[in-house]
Amino acid sequence: MAAEARAEARAEARTPRSAQRTWLWGALLALPTAWMVTFFVFAMAIVVLLSFGRTTNDGFPAFATSTANYRALWNDVYLELFVRSLLYALATVVIAVLIAYPVAYAIALHGGRYKNALIAAIVVPFFASYLIRMYAWKALLSDDGLVNSGLRKTGLSDGVTFLNTPWAVIGGLVYGFVVFMILPIYASLERLDVSLIEAGKDLYHGPVRTFFAVTLPATRAGLYGGVLLVFLPALGDFVSAQLLGGANTFMLGNLVQQQFNEGQNWPLGSALTVALMAALTVLMVVYLRATSTEAREA
Amino acid sequence: MTPHPRLGAARPSRRGFLTGGLAASFALSSCAYIRDDVAVDAPLPPSAKAEIDGDLVYFNWADYLAPRVIKGFQEEYGVKVIESNFDSMEGMYAKIAAGNQYDIVFPIAKWVVKLRREGKLRAIDPAQLTNADQVFYSGSYFNEPWYDAGSRVSVPFTVYKTGIGWRTDKVSSMTGSWHDLWNEEAAGHIFTLDDQDEALAMAALTLGYDVNTAKPSELEEMKKLLISQKDLLRAYSSDDINDMTSGDAWVHHMWSGDFLYLRNGLANNPTKFDFEAPVEGVPINSDTYAIPTNAQHPGTAMVFIDYLLRPENAIKNMKYLYYPFPVRDALPAFADLAKDVPACNVEVSDLENENVFRLLPTDEVQRRAAVWTEVKAS
Amino acid sequence: MARPRRVERKPALAVAVTVVFFAWLYLPILAVALFSLNDKKSLSRFSGFSLRWYDELVHNSALIDSLVASLEIASVATAGSLVLGTMLALGLERVTSRRGRVIGAVTLLPLVTPEIVTGVAALLLFTGVGLKLSMGTVILAEITFSIAYVTVIVRGRLAGVSREVEEAARDLGCTPFQAVRLVTLPTLVPALVGAGLLVFALVFDDFVLAFFTTGVDPQPLPVRVYSSIRFGVSPAINAIGTLMLLASALLIVAALVLPRLLGRGTSSLDLITGGRR
Repeated sequence: MAAEARAEARAEARTPRSAQRTWLWGALLALPTAWMVTFFVFAMAIVVLLSFGRTTNDGFPAFATSTANYRALWNDVYLELFVRSLLYALATVVIAVLIAYPVAYAIALHGGRYKNALIAAIVVPFFASYLIRMYAWKALLSDDGLVNSGLRKTGLSDGVTFLNTPWAVIGGLVYGFVVFMILPIYASLERLDVSLIEAGKDLYHGPVRTFFAVTLPATRAGLYGGVLLVFLPALGDFVSAQLLGGANTFMLGNLVQQQFNEGQNWPLGSALTVALMAALTVLMVVYLRATSTEAREA
Repeated sequence: MTPHPRLGAARPSRRGFLTGGLAASFALSSCAYIRDDVAVDAPLPPSAKAEIDGDLVYFNWADYLAPRVIKGFQEEYGVKVIESNFDSMEGMYAKIAAGNQYDIVFPIAKWVVKLRREGKLRAIDPAQLTNADQVFYSGSYFNEPWYDAGSRVSVPFTVYKTGIGWRTDKVSSMTGSWHDLWNEEAAGHIFTLDDQDEALAMAALTLGYDVNTAKPSELEEMKKLLISQKDLLRAYSSDDINDMTSGDAWVHHMWSGDFLYLRNGLANNPTKFDFEAPVEGVPINSDTYAIPTNAQHPGTAMVFIDYLLRPENAIKNMKYLYYPFPVRDALPAFADLAKDVPACNVEVSDLENENVFRLLPTDEVQRRAAVWTEVKAS
Repeated sequence: MARPRRVERKPALAVAVTVVFFAWLYLPILAVALFSLNDKKSLSRFSGFSLRWYDELVHNSALIDSLVASLEIASVATAGSLVLGTMLALGLERVTSRRGRVIGAVTLLPLVTPEIVTGVAALLLFTGVGLKLSMGTVILAEITFSIAYVTVIVRGRLAGVSREVEEAARDLGCTPFQAVRLVTLPTLVPALVGAGLLVFALVFDDFVLAFFTTGVDPQPLPVRVYSSIRFGVSPAINAIGTLMLLASALLIVAALVLPRLLGRGTSSLDLITGGRR
């Protein structure tokens, strides 16, 4: 509050209209803030509350003050599943970076006048239903699907089991979210001052060293943003594991989804959601600390 | 937020609410999470007359009636059918419990028990239905089905069993037992239905237990058995038809109607597929038509049910779904559909068996759900 | 920014990855288009050419209803989140107090929250206060989820708008509202178009939130597709997918070409990608 008053006082000193203006901008904030508090903050609070709840004899979720749901989570099976989901999400991020960076690089620095068209071509499929594309993968990668019959015809292989494997799930996640990695990296490459690269070349001898010494650090912000934008949805996804996964690829998202549907245990589902959010918050804080320290050092 | 009118009727169980300021303020606006006041065996809301009273809000599995039958209804009566789908019975129930207003729903028998007990279904007076004698004829099982005393709130829709479908060209050693879902010959190509009741029933029958068991010791054994299957298992999936046609599945825990559809409706070479009803016994269940209490157009729903009971429409639906409809003058047409795979046939009399899914108390449901979750998660 | 000169030889590896990437990206889409023309129901074997699934689609009122529902949800949610998100962006850009920063952080939270969490929270909120799940609840949830996207994009643009222009407008006798309406908003148009397109696409295709919050009204298309899992997906779904793809391609082309035709230097796409300002 004191800081606010100081800021206002400073603003006041600068131009006499400021008080009036601050009032105007504050008024603009009121409605969206109220909206977010109601539909997001308040909703989250309910999730937290219900995570201490129970299920009544009629099968309805009810508020209570029990920690039974959290104790139920402390179970080898769930911990293993948590680790599995983290690993899948990390693998997704790594693969997405390995794909997205070269693609963004090629388009941003060598796309020429087709740049916008190429980016559009990446965005278009992403506009056509994710679920439909997942089903298409399922059909394509099945044992008798087009990919396998192609492999058989060319004699390369007599069939590969793609579907229902961890890699199918990770592949589905990458496919679904890689665009969120490409766009921020592309944006930061676009803003990159090309003369820097040229200067780097003189300095560091050779494109590879230049890349690691100049280009990569300069696009760090986009990369870090992309990592978050891919990691978070991948960790919460349940579609890829359900459609492309197998008997041993159940993910956190599937578990939450199941508690709200077949399992009919909303309080347990809420506890899972809270645990997920807590883990994410810790990861985010660590991640942001690490990346901002690195940015300061650079 | 305005206080909810029901606030005055606070109950002791709502004490749980009052754990902190936010909780208290939330309590003012919400009672939805506490419904100890659910009416149990309340008097049934009366049956509607079979008169069109608006468009039909329809809530069913996706693609679970022949589109041309639905289309025919819209054309004949000049109303629209607004279709929503559920992907599990629990999903259906949750939406109804949340107060969504549907005119017609299609619950599995055990969910009729639950919905009726909670006063969520309206009575259906057979006298209103011109085709009622097609299912409620003298001596019909459905005059007094196990799930709906006096058949007051439901009209039978389909009956089905769950067994094992397999590829005759890939697997030769089938034994006619549920152990075939552990057939090494099909390792990596075995699928179990992604359905809690079906999967647990399969395990229970294999071990000789009741399909509805909730005994911890038996559940523990079932869990071990199901986990032992995971080495051979490709996936848990309810998309049994596509799993079989795509070549992924050689042995699939499967619903009888899906199998018939696969074999008669899709396969280029039907003899590549066969179905067995394992000797340990199979779950046999039935779906129903029902009208929720809060339906806005129960009259249209009555007309719709009557329309579906017309034998010619039941036949069209059977030829689309490949499940038998217990409609008297339509049922003989099913014998023709199932003639090559008698194991897929379901007699109505089969419903009087031990292996129907029954409504269980919440603690038992949750014990079973926990086992199923652990099986899938491990 | 300076026009990038050719700085080096084309990096072979990056180009190769890009080519493979595009093949991978488009493979399932070609499959969707191909199987929408299949004459059998199979989704894995193509047996012959036929338009029967398009015919079935036209006559499948449930699918059409779902498509229309998704379009309606996306339109209303886009409009709603544009209004709220822009208000928020304007407010946050000019309010420098700590309260402003806290609000800014809170409103960005949905961006870093997995959708399943947002979906669960919305479901609990709506059922908790006794709101009937319907298209309305889907829209409420989608707006909440989309506001942050609009805010981020619009703030990006606002940062480039000089405040002095607005001040000048005030000196010429405008009220603060007039200054915003006449000066600031017009410069935001490209950002609003970009944000609108992005939100429309995200909401139209959103499955998770819709899955948790949908109710009695016709289901949004993604939920309808998902519900078909148990009984197998009809190729009519592929027909819809193909049509959606064509429509979005047209939309993108329009987004690329229109601003140029109107004589603006930036296309809306730059704003989605945060490109040149």
